[in-house]
Amino acid sequence: MSLADRLRGVIGPAPGASGANPSGSHREPERLAPHDALDAIVEVLGGEWREANGHRYMVIDTRYGPGHVLGRVAVSDCLPPADGVWPRLPLLAGPPGAAGAEAPALQDQVSEVGGRLLFVDLETTGLAGGAGSYAFLVGCGWFEPPLPSASALATVGSHRDPTGQHWPVGPRTRTDQADRSAGQGACFRVRQFFLASYAAERAVLEAVADTADAASGVVTYNGKTFDLPLLETRFLLHRMATPFAGKPHVDMLHPVRRLWSAPRPRSDRPPRLDGRPDFSGAFGERVPACRLTNIEETLLGHVREDDVAGFEIPSRYFHYVRTSDARPLRAVLEHNRMDLLGLAMLTARAAQLLDEGAAAARSAREALGLGRLFERGGLAAEARACYQRAADMDSADSTTRAEALRACAILHRRDRRYADAAAAWRRVLGGRGCPAHLAREATEALAVHHEHRERDLPEARRLARQALQFETSMARTQAVEYRLARLERKLGEPGR
Amino acid sequence: MIVSIMVPARHRESTFERALEAVRVDRGGDAGLESALARLTGGGTARPDTPDGWVTAVRVLPARAAAFAPFPEGIEPRLQAVLRARAIDRLYTHQAAAIAHVLERRDVVITTPTASGKTLCYNAPVLSALLRDPSARALYLFPTKALAQDQLAELHDLAARLRDASEDGSTSVGVFTYDGDTPQDARRAIRGRAHIVLSNPDMLHSGILPHHPRWAKLFENLRFVVIDELHAYRGVFGSHLANVLRRLRRVCGHYGSDPTFICSSATIANPRELAEALVERPFELVSESGAPRGEKAFLFVNPPVVNAELGIRRSCLAETRRIAAEFLKRRLQLIVFAQSRLATEILTTYLKDDFAGPPGTGEEIRGYRGGYLPQRRREIEKGLRDGTVRAVVATSALELGIDIGALDVCVMAGYPGSIAATWQRAGRAGRRSGRSAAVLVATSAPIDQFVVRNPAYFFDATPEHALIDADNLHILVEHVKCAAFELPFSASERYGRHDVQDVLGVLAENGFVHQDPSGGIWQWTSESYPADAVSLRSISSDNFVVIDTTNGAEVIGETSFTSGPATLHEKAIYLVEGALYQVERLDFDGRKAYVRQIDCDYYTDAITYTKVTVLETFEQGSSPRPAGVGAHGEVHVASRVVGFKKIKFYTNENVGSGELELPEQQMHTTSYWLTVPEAVMAALPYAADDRRDGIVGLSFAMRQVAQLLLMCDRQDIGISIGSGEQNLDTDEPRIFVYDNYPGGIGFSEPLFGMHGDLLVRTRELIAGCACKHGCPACVGPVGNTGPLAKVAALRILDLIA
Repeated sequence: MSLADRLRGVIGPAPGASGANPSGSHREPERLAPHDALDAIVEVLGGEWREANGHRYMVIDTRYGPGHVLGRVAVSDCLPPADGVWPRLPLLAGPPGAAGAEAPALQDQVSEVGGRLLFVDLETTGLAGGAGSYAFLVGCGWFEPPLPSASALATVGSHRDPTGQHWPVGPRTRTDQADRSAGQGACFRVRQFFLASYAAERAVLEAVADTADAASGVVTYNGKTFDLPLLETRFLLHRMATPFAGKPHVDMLHPVRRLWSAPRPRSDRPPRLDGRPDFSGAFGERVPACRLTNIEETLLGHVREDDVAGFEIPSRYFHYVRTSDARPLRAVLEHNRMDLLGLAMLTARAAQLLDEGAAAARSAREALGLGRLFERGGLAAEARACYQRAADMDSADSTTRAEALRACAILHRRDRRYADAAAAWRRVLGGRGCPAHLAREATEALAVHHEHRERDLPEARRLARQALQFETSMARTQAVEYRLARLERKLGEPGR
Repeated sequence: MIVSIMVPARHRESTFERALEAVRVDRGGDAGLESALARLTGGGTARPDTPDGWVTAVRVLPARAAAFAPFPEGIEPRLQAVLRARAIDRLYTHQAAAIAHVLERRDVVITTPTASGKTLCYNAPVLSALLRDPSARALYLFPTKALAQDQLAELHDLAARLRDASEDGSTSVGVFTYDGDTPQDARRAIRGRAHIVLSNPDMLHSGILPHHPRWAKLFENLRFVVIDELHAYRGVFGSHLANVLRRLRRVCGHYGSDPTFICSSATIANPRELAEALVERPFELVSESGAPRGEKAFLFVNPPVVNAELGIRRSCLAETRRIAAEFLKRRLQLIVFAQSRLATEILTTYLKDDFAGPPGTGEEIRGYRGGYLPQRRREIEKGLRDGTVRAVVATSALELGIDIGALDVCVMAGYPGSIAATWQRAGRAGRRSGRSAAVLVATSAPIDQFVVRNPAYFFDATPEHALIDADNLHILVEHVKCAAFELPFSASERYGRHDVQDVLGVLAENGFVHQDPSGGIWQWTSESYPADAVSLRSISSDNFVVIDTTNGAEVIGETSFTSGPATLHEKAIYLVEGALYQVERLDFDGRKAYVRQIDCDYYTDAITYTKVTVLETFEQGSSPRPAGVGAHGEVHVASRVVGFKKIKFYTNENVGSGELELPEQQMHTTSYWLTVPEAVMAALPYAADDRRDGIVGLSFAMRQVAQLLLMCDRQDIGISIGSGEQNLDTDEPRIFVYDNYPGGIGFSEPLFGMHGDLLVRTRELIAGCACKHGCPACVGPVGNTGPLAKVAALRILDLIA
């Protein structure tokens, strides 16, 4: 038996030519003559060839004019202020004290370099990372300010009110198409770098670095754990400096969760036996609502048509690598552009909310989430206003209202405004359908309040006894029992 | 006590150890040992072997004086100063020789006994180089995480002393473990700051090599790779490691480094061969120990027969308990090795019952096994070193290099399975001055019986060969995938013995890689992360999962695909940590076995029908007279589990059976086989059935001996009886001893080389057995083989050997 035959016995027979999977066919298909092939790829993907160190890669530029619409929202609704950046977006750049702390503040950077925020999204050959996972498409996007001569065009097709901060609510019709011509007005521009052959990776990375160097900050969706580390590995592999190191980074996954995802169930499902993260959904099954396309749907009213499923993407690229047939990749490039445009729009919405504050929130959930973002960014007054708005909105569901009041109460307590805190706790208990764990917390907090601030010991005792009715952890129950015993002692009465 | 507090406890080196011994109080001393041995042997230690007796052998290994050498010139003076401060002012000769090789950048393998200061052989040149060039890096590989932790403490101590000794306190050597337990957020810091990374092959394989760009600093500056406990890497594990090291050297080549390899091994027959097979470069061997050794007595004990008919002996555990008591009574410090976690717990309980001190005296008798929390283990190790623990009952968890100091006596309940492991365990007892003793208590298993009845086999023969096959196609293919993921293969690149271009070609057929038409570069074109699909400790990632349904559903273990049907069939008893489970349902296609905890006094042994077909004969022995012919080659093995037997614990009685219907399993592997000529069979003065029984009995015994010769585990080889393929009409039986892994793992060729030895030792095993008609210690229990199996097997051997 030949080595190859024995190997086939070990590896298994090659998948037959009948495989529906475009990458499944093992036969080397006939290849086009080099020049025809290059032309054919341009025709399909619509970019232009660049060459560096003898290796070709492709750059695809797409311009989305101010009137370009995704669902209800136009590019013009999303433009950052004329001087370049939304003032409060830096609040989202990494948690305070974490990795982001080492990076210079976004605010300082943006004023220096003209304030271009770079939206980044990758399409890769695998999700696992490591030296064998390539970024075959690096998508970059940014808002371009209008050219001075064309500034009059900036508001064409826009429904914006003079403050420029409100999103349209009603449906919109498509007013223009993405175009690849050099436009005059403000726009969202997408530049995609396509790895036409593995050998061109260094050239692609150099081009990406050039684009990234011009940016003052980076915005991604789940880029903290996926896109940026994967790119970093590619740069490291080529012994190149990572252009994103030290740049402020806003990963919109977390703000989006706060602002627009459905409330999470309290009891998470048990972790997997092997302790590995669960990647069954794009970001874990727990919050399927946090897929970018879902958020686009709920927030922008945009439903993607013929979108490529994420799991198909690597095999489409491998098909291209084997055959030079780029047709299945056309949809992948479009998918990447939609991810970038959608991300830019969500970011704009979040930035507008931050800049405008509580009044701009359209739902209780959004107001609550905005409050959390403010609180995390250290803006307590804005946070409080958001929590209050969330609690007051008629549309608030009971859980959201209770969570908003709780957050409010904790802020008050931190500011030593105990009466206000107690009032908020009372409202927690007053609401119908208040989740038990919040009711327990409120009852305990009120017991503390009556014992130490109001010095109303009988009321404190009543509340402590009430708190014991809730099921909770041993430690918490013990703490309440301890309090109760102390209250009994203070009241000079025998046991219950 | 004071000494052990002031000086960090992790000491293995020279004079400090002697100082510690001097302050050790209330030990039984030589007189106590002498009297215990006299009582056990019923006289002195000078006597011949008595294979039929209770104590079958007493050997005295003479004391040996230390041989010293000065520090080699190349050792950095700052390090010499720190070592002197630790009372190491000169080296043993083997240390000096090993260090000299490393300083000259020669790969070296060191095999010297337990507690001879092996770690200094690699720590000294590594630290010396790091002091000279702070950008230099070293990677240490240990087979277990516990061993890496043990070394971490030792290295931290040396690093701290080096820092304190430097003028400005700026000398800093970063030493970190990097394994599955390393927190995610600490990993980045470790990649940047570690001069010495302590890890294991599994982590190197799946966590470091695939992410080599993040480890660029390590790979660019990698000067040393240390592989400790080299002997642990035999069989499947070793074959995998050889491939991981091929990948390591490939990545190093990419970053322009070429590290020196320093390996240390317990005593095996072929340390240099093993190192060279694993690293694929020439090695220097340092095997002459310069460490001193006190006199050691080695005893073999065979528990008396209680049922001569069935060949059943008294329980090994009861014997061990009695023997351990003799030493404990005389205040000697003791380690007892048991074969299983269950046995460990039982013996611990026995000895505690017998010897527990008055309340409050502290725990003088402890158990030690895998599964104990690290903190508890450290506490026991420390107790052994400072003498507060008088006796420890341990599994093989304590066989590897964990530092517990040197004890007075080692008692082994059961033969550890190989000569090398036995010496390593025995090495746990033995001071540098003064006497020590090791006692091996046999179980009724055939191997144990062979060893204790043939003491010369153990004492005079070379220890086993550790064998690997780095080019087993099943293993090779997986690692070629991993390597292609890590760095693209070039069109002229070589990897292993086979032509890797062919391997890549077949991988391309399956879409894993693609050869660039212009440059010929092979690119990884799969979205998978191939290292995840390979477990270094087994050959196939296709496993059966064992699910305990006693309370809910909990995964309690897994079993390889090949051994799944035999161990997880319905009604099988499955053992984990001494707990017994019964398989209630086997979902063969889903690869799941549902078990429930049970209390019973038997285990199960599957009855497997196996048919072996020769595909290709590689070599065949020739013989002038009608003799048994040995051969080896590639075979097809089809096996099916058709039933099972219930076997009572300890006595090995057959107490029931059942029938099963399970799918057939097939594999290609390599095999050794013995063909018994037709003339021999015809010359036997027995009926056809009895002749057949003789062959069955012969194969049963051959399996035990082959396992012994190959230094492998029981499940590593399979046995089958077939007939000659070319002349089906004749009755010419063949006994196959095949590698029980797809593709073979390198046992067959060496076994063919030992053909003569195999037959001679098989004859010794059968002829030396006291049973009448066969027992589990020779040709198998009578119930299995028939009344004439033993005599027929011997007749066959007489005719063919």
